Amino acid sequence: MHEVTSRSLGHPARALHWLAGLFFGLALVFAIVAWTVGDVFFFRLGTEALIFAGLALSVDLLLGRTGLLPLGQALFFGMGAYVSALVLKNWSSSFWIAIAVALVFSAITGLIGGLIAIRSKGVYFALISFGLAQVVSKIIFNTRELGASDGMIGVPVAQIAPGLESGQPAGFFLVVLSILFILYAGLAYLMETPFGRQLGAVRTNEQRLSFLGVDPWRTKLAAFVGAACIAGVSGALYPMLRGFVSPELMFFQVSGNAVINVIVGGTGTLIGPLYGSALLTVLRSVVGSYTAHHQIVIGILFILVVIVLPRGLIGLAAPALQERLGRREGAVRTPILHADHPQ
Amino acid sequence: MDWIQFVLAPQIVNGLAIGVAVVLMALGLTIIFGLLDVINMAHGEFYAIGAYVAVALLGAGLTFWWALALTPLLMALIGYVTERSLIQRVFHSKDRHTLTLLLTFGIGIVLEDILKLVFGANPLRVEAPISGATEMLGLFFPNYRLFVMGLGALIIIAVWVLVFRTSLGAMVRAAAFDRQMTASLGVPVNRVYAATFAFGVALAGVSGVLLAPIYSVFPTMGRDFVLIAFSVVIIGGMGSIKGAVIAGLLLTQIQSISSLFISPVWGDPLLFGIMVLVLMWRPQGLFGRLGHA
Repeated sequence: MHEVTSRSLGHPARALHWLAGLFFGLALVFAIVAWTVGDVFFFRLGTEALIFAGLALSVDLLLGRTGLLPLGQALFFGMGAYVSALVLKNWSSSFWIAIAVALVFSAITGLIGGLIAIRSKGVYFALISFGLAQVVSKIIFNTRELGASDGMIGVPVAQIAPGLESGQPAGFFLVVLSILFILYAGLAYLMETPFGRQLGAVRTNEQRLSFLGVDPWRTKLAAFVGAACIAGVSGALYPMLRGFVSPELMFFQVSGNAVINVIVGGTGTLIGPLYGSALLTVLRSVVGSYTAHHQIVIGILFILVVIVLPRGLIGLAAPALQERLGRREGAVRTPILHADHPQ
Repeated sequence: MDWIQFVLAPQIVNGLAIGVAVVLMALGLTIIFGLLDVINMAHGEFYAIGAYVAVALLGAGLTFWWALALTPLLMALIGYVTERSLIQRVFHSKDRHTLTLLLTFGIGIVLEDILKLVFGANPLRVEAPISGATEMLGLFFPNYRLFVMGLGALIIIAVWVLVFRTSLGAMVRAAAFDRQMTASLGVPVNRVYAATFAFGVALAGVSGVLLAPIYSVFPTMGRDFVLIAFSVVIIGGMGSIKGAVIAGLLLTQIQSISSLFISPVWGDPLLFGIMVLVLMWRPQGLFGRLGHA
């Protein structure tokens, strides 16, 4: 029907790879500068931005690929954080054990949540995922064994490797950056596989996918569980950074912020959500230092993006960049298509 | 027998007062969805604004009755402007389901923070305009709750008459059924859309005013409440008026009676469990959509 040399669902793939390289490159430059200056605050803030970028990545896997809008992704993020905190406090101080247990738990809860939520489509899915998170966060909010509304404080630092622990600002930043890179690269690779195409097909035309002999329900469930795992692993890193967990981690605010990060960055681009999270985490922190009402600023920015720039920042930048990269090689091979742009 | 008279009956009456307010919220949501296909994520904030508008009007020296009469008008104005200035802009795109949901979500964030900015985050109290209690069958019922029930029931009936028995309502139902055809018959569809959104927002506002004396007024007051309203709308069927009324009264009764046996904190998980079960059985909810049934 139309020629698409880019293989990422209508997105200029080379430009996205280039932007991904830029993102991780900039993060390394930031780490070197901050390390030279001997900074702690910005390392912590940067690590937090990366952790929330992982959550945003999981939202984009669902929203950008399968077209399912998750409004309760914080459920799995918070689940990962609580499990990781419990493991570190009561069982083992090993980073890897905490991550592995959190991963197993998020896969299980993702499966249960998926079985409930995937039955429904479109806005129903959005509302059910919203409700799921709301209900579980309420239960945790009222469970005294889990610290109720206060959450759990005093989570010990995690031992990552001999001489490396989560308490070291620079070291932990790099560890989180590596994990985010693995998640991103893994997802970007997955999108090029037949399974990745199936995900896109769910969004474009679910019925036709089942004519081809692929069960769309199973595809969506796999995406949901995968997104839960990514969110859970990201969440597991949180108590290692901040030393506490609280029910707020599961509240709608966190889910909502993740969606905002994805939309502002660029839905369906995978790298956009990382830019979005980095940008908005810094913006929240900067505006937040001037006024307690930074939500107005973020909210208005978000409204503007939804109305004026529904493709997000990267969705805007990538096609132009792709054209440049193509011109440098002397030929523009790719007619860039937005007809099936995800939103 | 005593248990029924002194424990169960008051609980049912209390549940009914909350129930009609939930139905008003759910009616707003379901009418907006039925006609515009818009999931109004800011509905809870509009509910909170309704309560705050009443607080402001009371602060300006008006009586509660004036506040109750003026709030829906102001809320309708806010709703109309919101629809025309923001929602209209993304309404005609292909992904309008997601875009309008995201947009109203953004609007909700901004509105909530504006409330915090203007009124502060602390809960405010509103004095009930009717005090005392009425004795019925040997029981005392707070007059204000009886009033809320009565007025709420009247409004629900009025909404029903408006939608199903007037030419205005016929326009709305026609636009929900077939937008193009309705427009070609000379109905100003865009204005019908904006007016419907305004109407739904006004209903949320009324709900906010009515419940203000029962609960306290604070910026995030809409959050939990809107979750119940959403469950009601999903169970009753998105876009169904009958469904919103029946599911709204039923669910609030279940919640209120169950709180006699289990801790109230389990009320929301219970509602949610019911919602999931209903969706497994009937994914489209109990009743059909506005204009289609």
